[in-house]
Amino acid sequence: MIGEIGKILIVSAFVIALTSLFLYYKASRNDLKPKLEKTAHRLFALMGLLAVISSGLLIYLIFTHQFQYYYVYDHTSLNLQTRYLIAAFYSGQTGSFLLWIMWTALVGWGLIKWTEDEFRAPVMVFVTLIEVFLFSMLLGVNIGSIHIGASPFRTISEAMPNAPYLRAHPNFIPADGNGLNDLLKSPWILIHPPILFLGFSLMTVPFAYAMAGLWKRKYHEWIKPALPWTLGANLCLITAIFLGGYWAYVTLSFGGFWAWDPVENASFVPWLIGVAGLHAMVVQKKKDKPKTTSILFAILAYVAIAYESFLTRSGVLGNSSVHSFVDLGLYDQLVFFLGAVIVVSFGLFIYRWKDLPKSDASSSMLNRDFILFSGAMLLFLTGLVIIIGTSSPIIGRFFVNNPTPPPKSFYNNWTMPLAIALAIFTVIGQYVWWKNYDAESLSEALLGPLVIASIASIATIILGNVHNIEYMIYLFAAYFGVVGNGFVVARLYKKKPKLAGGATTHIGFAIMLIGILASTAYQTDFLDAQTRNYNHAVKAGKVMNKDGTKVSKTVNFFQLNKGEPTVIDKNLTATFVNMKMDNQARPGQQLYTIKFHYKNGKTYYMHPVIYPMLTTSTKNKINWAVSPQVKAGWFHDIYLYVGGSSYVQNINNELKSGNQVESVAERVKNAGSAPVSQDNSGKSNSDLVTFRFKRGQSKTVDGYTFTFKNFKKASDSELPDSAIIAVHAMINIKQDSTGAQKSISPMFSIVKNNGKKMSYAPPVTIDDWKFAVQFSNVKPMSDNIQLTVSGLKNAAQNDQNAWVVVVADRKPFISLVWAGIFIIMIGFSISILRRWAEDKRRTERMKAARSGAT
Amino acid sequence: MKPKVIMGVIFIAGFTSLLFYNFGNSISTYTNFNQAAKSSSSVHVVGSWDQSKPSGFSYSTKTFSFYMKDNKGVERKVLYPKPEPNNFEQAKKIVVVGQLKDNVFYADQILMKCPSKYNANGSNLKSRAPKKNQ
Repeated sequence: MIGEIGKILIVSAFVIALTSLFLYYKASRNDLKPKLEKTAHRLFALMGLLAVISSGLLIYLIFTHQFQYYYVYDHTSLNLQTRYLIAAFYSGQTGSFLLWIMWTALVGWGLIKWTEDEFRAPVMVFVTLIEVFLFSMLLGVNIGSIHIGASPFRTISEAMPNAPYLRAHPNFIPADGNGLNDLLKSPWILIHPPILFLGFSLMTVPFAYAMAGLWKRKYHEWIKPALPWTLGANLCLITAIFLGGYWAYVTLSFGGFWAWDPVENASFVPWLIGVAGLHAMVVQKKKDKPKTTSILFAILAYVAIAYESFLTRSGVLGNSSVHSFVDLGLYDQLVFFLGAVIVVSFGLFIYRWKDLPKSDASSSMLNRDFILFSGAMLLFLTGLVIIIGTSSPIIGRFFVNNPTPPPKSFYNNWTMPLAIALAIFTVIGQYVWWKNYDAESLSEALLGPLVIASIASIATIILGNVHNIEYMIYLFAAYFGVVGNGFVVARLYKKKPKLAGGATTHIGFAIMLIGILASTAYQTDFLDAQTRNYNHAVKAGKVMNKDGTKVSKTVNFFQLNKGEPTVIDKNLTATFVNMKMDNQARPGQQLYTIKFHYKNGKTYYMHPVIYPMLTTSTKNKINWAVSPQVKAGWFHDIYLYVGGSSYVQNINNELKSGNQVESVAERVKNAGSAPVSQDNSGKSNSDLVTFRFKRGQSKTVDGYTFTFKNFKKASDSELPDSAIIAVHAMINIKQDSTGAQKSISPMFSIVKNNGKKMSYAPPVTIDDWKFAVQFSNVKPMSDNIQLTVSGLKNAAQNDQNAWVVVVADRKPFISLVWAGIFIIMIGFSISILRRWAEDKRRTERMKAARSGAT
Repeated sequence: MKPKVIMGVIFIAGFTSLLFYNFGNSISTYTNFNQAAKSSSSVHVVGSWDQSKPSGFSYSTKTFSFYMKDNKGVERKVLYPKPEPNNFEQAKKIVVVGQLKDNVFYADQILMKCPSKYNANGSNLKSRAPKKNQ
């Protein structure tokens, strides 16, 4: 019912958007038809309202767990916490389109409010056009044999028409959903995607303005009003990129903040081109300048967004990204969207080409326009490198069949020289921006920054033991960027701090460059002596594989045994203190405590985590995820994760033995979904393990192997009078880590109590191992018995022979990466305030002039 | 105007051709074990994990080892100098990146192609599983 309403709302919103588009078009054709335009605004607002209501409905379905809807089924589950239920709204493909639509509607509303009369309708034509395209992705209607869009309100039988079970039972409602992927269960999901999509939506503005300018042949007037929006779009994108990178750094175990993954690149490229566009815009906003570059970059930034949406949402990257993407049936439509954006924008651009004011470009090389233009080109080329790398599944086919993605070194090798050039250009650009120079006077002015940067570079090269010549140049360029732009900021700060946005951003960029090099190229692994020796031996070619070949790879992990302090660095000792189950956070999650102790007495504890990914684990296999712990510091971060442990190994072995009645995955799952009731002892009831086996069989559970030897008749003396039957099971228990063995013989009996038959089976406590075994049932006429063991998890926690395999390293000055990005954000914000105020003054002046004229 | 434009055009043309040339050399093709044996450089081999053969991480040899069957059905032992990767047991398809020497594949990198990493899975309901992305 609600689903039907939702579908109708989306289809109506699509139709309303189309109508609004038509009216805006009409209003722009017949210049200033205020009535038509007003109706178009109303329709646009109504469309936005419908998008909000549809989102509300989807959130309602998610919160009421209506699993007959595919989206709800596929992205949520009963035990999902409230905050992740909210996040689930946009964690899927169709929901994220809804979020994108809503942001764009909000941006459109802002444009309606703040855009001057003659631009409003034409700009809104293009904003509404984008909304029409986005809505079309959600239609879920069939015209003939063509499917258009995938509705977020599809039912599971609509989403999976070929599933045999659903064919037979079209009204089937699953009891529970698939749940949100565990890797996404992090507070960062609440903030990263919304900001990213806000950035995408804001990037519509320069695109729409540039297109409107081309269309209405107002090549000049669009730049000033579009400038603050473009700055806002880039601020959002850099913030989202930072949040994504930081999220990956602190919760995933790939060991850094950037992996050149296609999905990361998808947000980075529009930013690079957007920033290139900003540089073109600040130069070309003056009346007498040509506008071609600004227009081109505004178009390209949006094409990049459409292209990257196609790459990440269509499934073409399925093979090359660690984030896998599967086509939702939108492939053709996404191609169409991309094609339409390219054809419309470049078509109009070419159509107006002859009419566009061209550059006279007669000035010297140190002309500020030329320097800024070169900087913009460098940014664009960086974007080009990344687009080509990311597009390997498509354009790689021109080179080889079945192309693989390029290695990370491809991106690093190409972006590094570009970053060097960019850092240098930021300084020259800033200098020539504020004052006219010739070559001689510029070198004179730059003498100070050059000397300071050289001293800083040499000091760093000596102190940091830098040998690589490329790194030396890079370092120098970065220092030059910091110092040179620092000089500019210092000078501006005295006069007009409002103007320092650009130089501030450049300082942030250069600081970030230093942080990137220091934290990645000079990262050092912590290793124990044994592993160090092993690595030395490998380097010397002294380690052989079983088959006699040389081992060529050093390793970066080491083992810590429980309670055994191990020296892992000159002044540093690490101790594996304990492991605790942390079922509250996630069922089956293990919280490890590792103590770091320095020679100077400083001590702290690291708490890395391993947890089973329940949404991807099956009955027989657990898919473990590790979550690192980062100890952040000003000079370096300590990054550590547990790559394996005796506890995990025991469970894996148990699963490999493959014969248990109740699998661990199931048990872990049950422990999570059952209400966590506490009995009087304060111990969770979920620490009960029940399994069945036959005479002669063995079971391994949590590091203990239980063997059912035989039955033994109970003697009359030990039985109450009311007993009907009673039998002992002779059980042998082996602690796998030590090989220690114990034999017990718990009893099972049926007694008559007040005329009722009841079972009586006292648990047998094993004091040494701190758990109790109960012979809880027996299948008559077979050898099959059931044991219930309580306290085993505690036993696992108390296992004195536990060990962990640890990967730990020191990342120097990674704080500079974050500091740099923060400064970039501040710089952008200063610029937004300045350009926003500027544009407001301009419109007020225009209004005043107009009212003065009438 | 002319010299600047010409310089710019030459620079961009040079940059782009060099970029494409290097890109073409950087990427390789997904291949199989027999072809990998002939190659002396690092290759990508696609295949699946043979669960009937022993696998596991050994701390003493510091390697994770398993047997992989490529698309042609050729099976080779794979050694990987890291603890067992996340997602390994669940991956339908595995890509190992490295070199084949004397019928043993030394992997620098193992890429898992899971049904969908960012998606919930494990339900039997899905016969044709349309999946989402982030």
